[in-house]
Amino acid sequence: MSLLEVNDLHVWFDLPGGGQVHAVNGVSFTLDAGQRLGLVGESGCGKTTTILAMMGLLPPTASVAGEVLIDGQSVLAGGEDTVRRYRWRDVAMVFQSAMNALNPVKRVGWQIAEPMAYHGIAKGTEARKRAGELLEMVGIPAAASERYPHEFSGGMRQRAAIAMALACRPKILLADEPTTALDVMVQAQILELLTGLCDELGLALILVTHDLPVVAHICERAAVMYAGEIAEIGPVAELYHASRHPYTRLLFSATPDLYGEERVMSIPGAPPRLDRQIEGCPFRPRCDVWLNRCDGEHPAMRTVGPDHEAACHRNEAVSVL
Amino acid sequence: MHRADYVIKRGFFALVTIFVAITINFFLFRVLPGSAVTDLSRVPHATPALRHALTVEFGLDKPKWEQYILYLRNLLHGNMGISFAYQQPVSHLLIADLKNTIPMVTVGTFASIVVGVVSGVLSARRRGSVPDHISTNIAIFAYAFPTQWLGLMLLILFAGILPAGGMENQFLLTPEPFLQHLGDIATHMILPAATLMLTAYGSFTLVVRSSMLETMGEDYVLTARAKGLSDRRIVWQHAVRNALLPMVTLIALSLGYIVGGALLIEVIFSWPGIGLGMYTAIGQRDYPMLQGGFLILTISVILLNFAADLVYFRLDPRITE
Amino acid sequence: MSLQAADPQAAEAGASPRGGFLLDVLRQRKAAVIGLSIIGFFIVLSIIAPYVSPYSATAQTCAVYAPPSIRHWLGCDDGGIDMLSEIMQGGRISLLVGFAATLVAMIIGGGVGILSGYFGGWLDILLMRITDYLLVIPDLVFMLVIADVWGASLFHVIMVIGILEWTTTARIIRAQVLSLRERVYIKRTKSLGASDARIIARHILPQVGPLLIANTVLTVAIAIYLETALAFLGLEDPSVTTWGTILEHAFDRTAISSGAWWAIVPDGFVIALVIVGCFLFGQAIEDALNPRLKVSHFSMRRWRLRPLVGRGPDAI
Repeated sequence: MSLLEVNDLHVWFDLPGGGQVHAVNGVSFTLDAGQRLGLVGESGCGKTTTILAMMGLLPPTASVAGEVLIDGQSVLAGGEDTVRRYRWRDVAMVFQSAMNALNPVKRVGWQIAEPMAYHGIAKGTEARKRAGELLEMVGIPAAASERYPHEFSGGMRQRAAIAMALACRPKILLADEPTTALDVMVQAQILELLTGLCDELGLALILVTHDLPVVAHICERAAVMYAGEIAEIGPVAELYHASRHPYTRLLFSATPDLYGEERVMSIPGAPPRLDRQIEGCPFRPRCDVWLNRCDGEHPAMRTVGPDHEAACHRNEAVSVL
Repeated sequence: MHRADYVIKRGFFALVTIFVAITINFFLFRVLPGSAVTDLSRVPHATPALRHALTVEFGLDKPKWEQYILYLRNLLHGNMGISFAYQQPVSHLLIADLKNTIPMVTVGTFASIVVGVVSGVLSARRRGSVPDHISTNIAIFAYAFPTQWLGLMLLILFAGILPAGGMENQFLLTPEPFLQHLGDIATHMILPAATLMLTAYGSFTLVVRSSMLETMGEDYVLTARAKGLSDRRIVWQHAVRNALLPMVTLIALSLGYIVGGALLIEVIFSWPGIGLGMYTAIGQRDYPMLQGGFLILTISVILLNFAADLVYFRLDPRITE
Repeated sequence: MSLQAADPQAAEAGASPRGGFLLDVLRQRKAAVIGLSIIGFFIVLSIIAPYVSPYSATAQTCAVYAPPSIRHWLGCDDGGIDMLSEIMQGGRISLLVGFAATLVAMIIGGGVGILSGYFGGWLDILLMRITDYLLVIPDLVFMLVIADVWGASLFHVIMVIGILEWTTTARIIRAQVLSLRERVYIKRTKSLGASDARIIARHILPQVGPLLIANTVLTVAIAIYLETALAFLGLEDPSVTTWGTILEHAFDRTAISSGAWWAIVPDGFVIALVIVGCFLFGQAIEDALNPRLKVSHFSMRRWRLRPLVGRGPDAI
């Protein structure tokens, strides 16, 4: 049994004028302890919504279907009130911009210790001590726990946010673009930190980003999302060199080198609207190798290699892409 | 060290504003044409000796700039002239009046803050619901009805039930024991303080509500939710704590309005405070009392503004400068 | 990190406000329409009051403190004057004072704000300091003192309110001008040799327009409130009938102990209505100019679960 299993997850959002947006459409994947999975795609492809849904952090306009199993337990089945039990204790999140993710009027140490007391892990002085230890673990002196977020630099704040996420010793860490708002030097440090922590603590990590070199750097596997669906999921090396989905190929091939500047999307066209049912393959309008059946038939997810799946009709053909 | 600068800066500003108010007062009553009427020495029924003494004290026969210096010096000694109507030092009368005004205004303002914050927070929590709409509209109307009208309405409604005027029962033959006397004052204070609460709370509700709505869109509220915290904790520890900051500023800005309201209220309920004192002074053409009242009220507001600055400073760790 | 699309209204209104802006606001926000209608209604009422009021607002037409009846819908006051007529005609003066005082305040405030924001430097510092000081001094108390020394008259009331209420306008306008000043097209126009006056008139004023209107309307509400307060304290010409003096007469001449609630209640209602109307309209414009994304990370309502409609993973 995997640590994390996401089975056929769907998320819809109500639109103000009526109707719905199908933001996440049948996403499935698994994750084991210590593994690092990248979740990549263009803005609006549903990657952030997916991880928010895993923690039940959705607005009242959302409807959810499918399963999220952590250690075999269904996290979402009981709605918001049940999923709270799992928050921070089993699965925690690091948000994109720690500047805003940290409460500006509370001391950093207090914010790290707060969930500890709340979930019954530690209280009072002990909680504060542990908060200090967590800060040390991410490379910040424990004394800084008396400071306020605005007194930290951007990189330090992100580290503090990571320390805060680890407060209740979660098994799974979800990171939503944790380095996008930071400069390159600091990015590298944060990524190293994440990798180190995962190895040391046996954490499973899902890293959401649109920055491919980052994924290549620290993830063993990655899932490529498009229009709310997973287009392809597999080992990062395969996605780069032996991808089995046109979108992945176009996405990854445009990266100049693994450690270069962030690539500018150059696939012509735009992702499809998600407020309507899509006939056939969602990528078809922008695909350079589409077949006739791509128009009317939605491609199923097929295994194309060890631990490697892709949703493209071309995988049925004997010849390689 | 940066933080101390702020306190000094605001303190200095308060002092300068007091100085400006004092100067404006001088200007109004001594320099503008028509100030012969407000001449401090023209105490009705005064002996020639008293007239002469006043003339010397305030330098009324000297050039204006000399008068200004004397005026400042007299103020430092608390000398604001002799009341035309009561033939007594203005400062003594006004201090006595102030002692009556302060408790009533404090109770009323405190009540308005509590009601405003609670109703604003509750409204924001249930944004868009019927209770929200009702509460908001009542607040708007309460704010829109003139203060004197609210007071008159309360008088009409509670005429038989609660005391209709004055601060205490004037018709007792023997003095009451202290506690009973306090109780007497308290019952007399109910209507005036309630009027002040009604007239002031509306703007607080609206600001707290709007500030809460803004705060609830901040990322740290999502973080709090992600930590698995309860609704109550999210709202009060994270949202309200931040949303209150604009509230402090609003209270400071409302002080002028509250003082004006208190004045009207004292007139309606014959509450023997500084507002009623000034009102009576108008009718009696008692210019020294008017001048003194203006100064004391203005200086009080300035000092209270400074106090509000300090509170804000305490609440918001981001203030440096 | 927002979860929902931004409020579509907000996205549109975020663009620079132009002439059709006010119409957009009216079209999109119900509150604005209600507010404007109320204001409009009372303006029209004030204009036609002398022709439609059932009785004279100065001559006695019924018994002292006569209660409401078929002939006198709102009863009569202490002088036997029809209340409804008094309120109708009193509204003319009240609104007049409100608008006139606001005009004074707008001219001073707008001028100070524009000069301060546009020219900056020592002028800005000086003007803003003065604004700061005036802002702290309590309005009514100050007005009371000035009005008393100066004498009780409508003109004095208008001037006194206008002289003390310009400060918030100045602040707002200045902030707008400062942000506009940095825009590229202003700098370009200036480098092309346009005079300051021209730039102010052609480029800055139109952009500042909607905000100025919002602030004007809100100031009218304050002015009307202050007029009633000053009247109540006896600082207005007692021979004039305004909504404020009606309340003052009621208080002075024992309306309450006479049980004559009709001398008090309706008057308060019309004042409140006008102020609410101004508030709704002005606030709607301000909200449209400062769009707040309707994202909220907290709600009492919850997301919903849908049962999974038999669709297993169709892999292998």
